[in-house]
Amino acid sequence: MQALETKAIEVTDLTVAYQDKPVLWDIDLDVPPGVLLSIVGPNGAGKTTLIKAILGLVRPAAGNVLIYDKPYEAQRRIVGYVPQRGTVDWDFPTNVLDVVMMGRYGALGWIRRPRKQERALAMNALEKVGMEGYATRQISQLSGGQQQRVFLARALVQDSTVYLMDEPFQGVDATTERAIVDLLQELRENGKTVVVVHHDLQTVTDYFDWVMLLNIRRIASGPVEETFTPENLRQTYGGRIAFIKNE
Amino acid sequence: MENLNILARFDYTLMVVTIGAALLGAVSGSLGTYAVLRRQSLLGDAISHAALPGIAIAFLLTGSKAPLILVLGAAIAGWLGTLLIMSIVRLTRIKYDSALGIVLSTFFGFGLVLHTLIQRTGNANQAGLDTFLFGQAATILASDILTIGVLGGVAIVITFIFWKELKLLVFDEGFAASLGFPLRTLDILLTSLLVIAIVLGLQAVGAVLMSAMLVAPAVAARQWTNKLGLMMFLAACFGALAGVSGAIISSTASRIPTGPTIVLCATVVVGFSIAFASNRGLLWDWIRQKRNRRNLKMTEQP
Repeated sequence: MQALETKAIEVTDLTVAYQDKPVLWDIDLDVPPGVLLSIVGPNGAGKTTLIKAILGLVRPAAGNVLIYDKPYEAQRRIVGYVPQRGTVDWDFPTNVLDVVMMGRYGALGWIRRPRKQERALAMNALEKVGMEGYATRQISQLSGGQQQRVFLARALVQDSTVYLMDEPFQGVDATTERAIVDLLQELRENGKTVVVVHHDLQTVTDYFDWVMLLNIRRIASGPVEETFTPENLRQTYGGRIAFIKNE
Repeated sequence: MENLNILARFDYTLMVVTIGAALLGAVSGSLGTYAVLRRQSLLGDAISHAALPGIAIAFLLTGSKAPLILVLGAAIAGWLGTLLIMSIVRLTRIKYDSALGIVLSTFFGFGLVLHTLIQRTGNANQAGLDTFLFGQAATILASDILTIGVLGGVAIVITFIFWKELKLLVFDEGFAASLGFPLRTLDILLTSLLVIAIVLGLQAVGAVLMSAMLVAPAVAARQWTNKLGLMMFLAACFGALAGVSGAIISSTASRIPTGPTIVLCATVVVGFSIAFASNRGLLWDWIRQKRNRRNLKMTEQP
């Protein structure tokens, strides 16, 4: 019974403010292990901030985050992170393999350099995202979809239990999107918990089994079939939504 | 006998100056790589301007012109200036560029006032303090080379020790933080390295133009390579080249200030690299475009 109650991520009463403006207000969120959860909401809803707050990258004004019952600082090794790809300078002088190996830096700790083993893990991850032929490619030569897959590979070599991904589908073509979805579902089938900031409402039901609707406050969260309802969506988007897919 | 002749003909002072300028160029060039990649090129400008009052205060307090004491004063002031910029950005709503501008000009103005005051006192010992404004490589002594070599060497060794951490910080701060690397500490480490490079170069290049010695070699180096390590090595070489040629040219005639000459030499390297570097150079771009257009025409024809 105890095992069933364990939560992969448990957010309680989380409030984050930039200067005086609340970006997240009193958020509660329980994510059970082994689900593929999408966070959806309009621009400025605080989706990225929520991911960052879970990772301890922004300091909350109030509230608490636990990963498998412990604070994030104690659980870094089991959490993988995919930032928005627009947050880095892709003209940085380095190659694909080097970026992917950065996923091992946490496990390596201070000063120790990546070696043969890290290289092998990185190549393995590149194979999983179909980028093994690009290992020595300069990162400025990658397309948007390829950049995204490199970031995914970097998270894969972290070999985590929980993954937090900020808009992994942003600016990728249909083929890449399909490949990424397959990868996410494979992660879930291996018992990982994956949280994804997502923009395309039409694919939520196809891709994810859990959803959180967010607009500064949590509107709803839970299994897609119960939670992803027209009423909840209207509350989230304030009635401005014209099209809701109904199977 | 032949060898001795060559040695005798080589001017000892010029040799010292050349070695000193080469070391300075190499240190500032390699450490400037991080400043350029972090888009913090102007931070170097702020640090070097902020260092000026430190030199004056160090002299006022000790009455000594020993390079190590002045460099220490410059380093403390430069460091305080940088810390002030970071705190202004963190604690107020003032943006980075404005904070930079405020700190830079305030410290520099304060430095100029102090320097003028010192000159007014008529203290005969003060002669030469103004070299820190525009630089005078001819004032580099053999003992300075030791200072530059040791401090610069330590700074470069530190970048090698923390190679992985600094690279991650510069490329992807957010990811670095998520792995548990302390951003603030790494930031301060990186800034301290920049401060070392800058205060070492102040004497030869001067506060006004020192930031060019950080930025120019790295910008030129980026044109030639896509590897961070190689970029740093090339920046060191370009910096040394600019330092040596600038020092020699300015020593051939009196009254040519070294700082501007070194910076002009660095500019030549940058200009050449932007125009002719393989892959990223303008000429290369032009040839590639031309070739593409021709290929396109050929495929259009049946």
